[in-house]
Amino acid sequence: MSTNGDVLIQVKEVHKIFHDSLHALNGVSEEILRGEVVVIVGPSGSGKSTFLRSLNLLEVPTTGKIFFEGVDITEKQTDIDKHRQKMGMVFQHFNLFPHKTILENITLAPIKLLKKSKEEAEKQAMQLLKQVGLEEKAASYPSQLSGGQKQRIAIVRSLAMEPDVMLFDEPTSALDPEMVGEVLELMKKLAHDGMTMVVVTHEMGFAKEVATRVLFMDEGQIKEQGRPEEFFENPKDPRLQEFLSKIL
Amino acid sequence: MLQTFQKKFYTNFIEDDRWKYIWEGLGVTLQVTLFAVLLGIVIGFLIAVVRSTYDKTGKLKVLNLICNVYLTVIRGTPVVVQLLIIYFVIFGSVNISKIPVAIMAFGINSGAYVAEIFRSGIMSIDNGQFEAGRSLGFSYAQTMVYIVMPQAFKNVLPALGNEFIVLLKETSVSGYIALQDLTKGGDIIRSRTYDALMPLLAVALIYLIMVIVFTKLVNILERRLRNSEH
Repeated sequence: MSTNGDVLIQVKEVHKIFHDSLHALNGVSEEILRGEVVVIVGPSGSGKSTFLRSLNLLEVPTTGKIFFEGVDITEKQTDIDKHRQKMGMVFQHFNLFPHKTILENITLAPIKLLKKSKEEAEKQAMQLLKQVGLEEKAASYPSQLSGGQKQRIAIVRSLAMEPDVMLFDEPTSALDPEMVGEVLELMKKLAHDGMTMVVVTHEMGFAKEVATRVLFMDEGQIKEQGRPEEFFENPKDPRLQEFLSKIL
Repeated sequence: MLQTFQKKFYTNFIEDDRWKYIWEGLGVTLQVTLFAVLLGIVIGFLIAVVRSTYDKTGKLKVLNLICNVYLTVIRGTPVVVQLLIIYFVIFGSVNISKIPVAIMAFGINSGAYVAEIFRSGIMSIDNGQFEAGRSLGFSYAQTMVYIVMPQAFKNVLPALGNEFIVLLKETSVSGYIALQDLTKGGDIIRSRTYDALMPLLAVALIYLIMVIVFTKLVNILERRLRNSEH
């Protein structure tokens, strides 16, 4: 049994070099504890998305190790697909499957990967849809939904796999301003329900209100981190001070 | 004037049941085209899978190399030469009926073009679809089968229809191995009646009508696919 406070993800000295030149991650070590809501901020090109995407190996580190629930997932023999089932991911551009209905989008992975029966998966999907107030969209296709609705469905699709951690890669950046709120609301609700979350975002309000810890990334490194109060009130790193003065 | 036309029509098509050369030739042409397209789709699909897997993951290096050689050779040489080589060299010492040889030759030829159609279809699917599948825990193959391929296939259906039309016309060189297709049928009539105009015009007209009809069908299909939201 694992409880809150256990180390869920451990990142050890990770470097990521793109095309032999761009040093996107420059020796990052970090731990994500169960129950934490970690928000990662930083200027564009600072490596925050690369860091997030390396947690489930969408980006494979050039060197360094990543442990998930005690297993080294950077080890070649590790069945990464099995571990990814426990790590939900939400993308900036939703990436719903356009050829499938909302219900099929949500039930595809539970049916094929968790071997749930169609009825069981659909029942669970409808419950989740009800929680986000979109149950009447079950038979619709993604193209018939607004951006905010798409992103909430994308979150539900990940939740249907009952993950141990949810990774959010700028989940509100592609949304019209009036739709940002509904997605953040859902993410807040998830956080309150105890979901472990790692969120890359520019929504400082969300970071202040919901994060248990905020990381500042710059030049491929974590330059500063702390509880939101001290992070925003009392930044020490000059680059962070500059960054915060620009966006707040 | 009208009388000479009637007379010519009679000698070219009615006398000795010469219309049968055209009718039976048409049957052979359609048969060869249809099965060659199907063979081409199978070959093209397999090559596209190998090539796009290599592009995306760097795996299947050797198979990818073999596929590249195949694509270069097939697309770099005329289909008539390929047909002649398959019939007279590869099956030169075997007694084999000509229709399967033609199907094989045109199918292998078409496969090279279909492969590129499929590959561009797979590559046209946004990488985010791929990442969404992988992040849910699907393997590379599962992501391809459940998420990428169904979308790619829908996108390339019109291009496959066009490949059928191209191939329909290309099979007209089947006469080089003395296969009696539509073109050869008209040519046989010409050699019997010494009238070139009428049988060849009839042959051309039949090809034209078929191409117009199939083009229309492909256009309808294209419009349907574009209008459907999913």
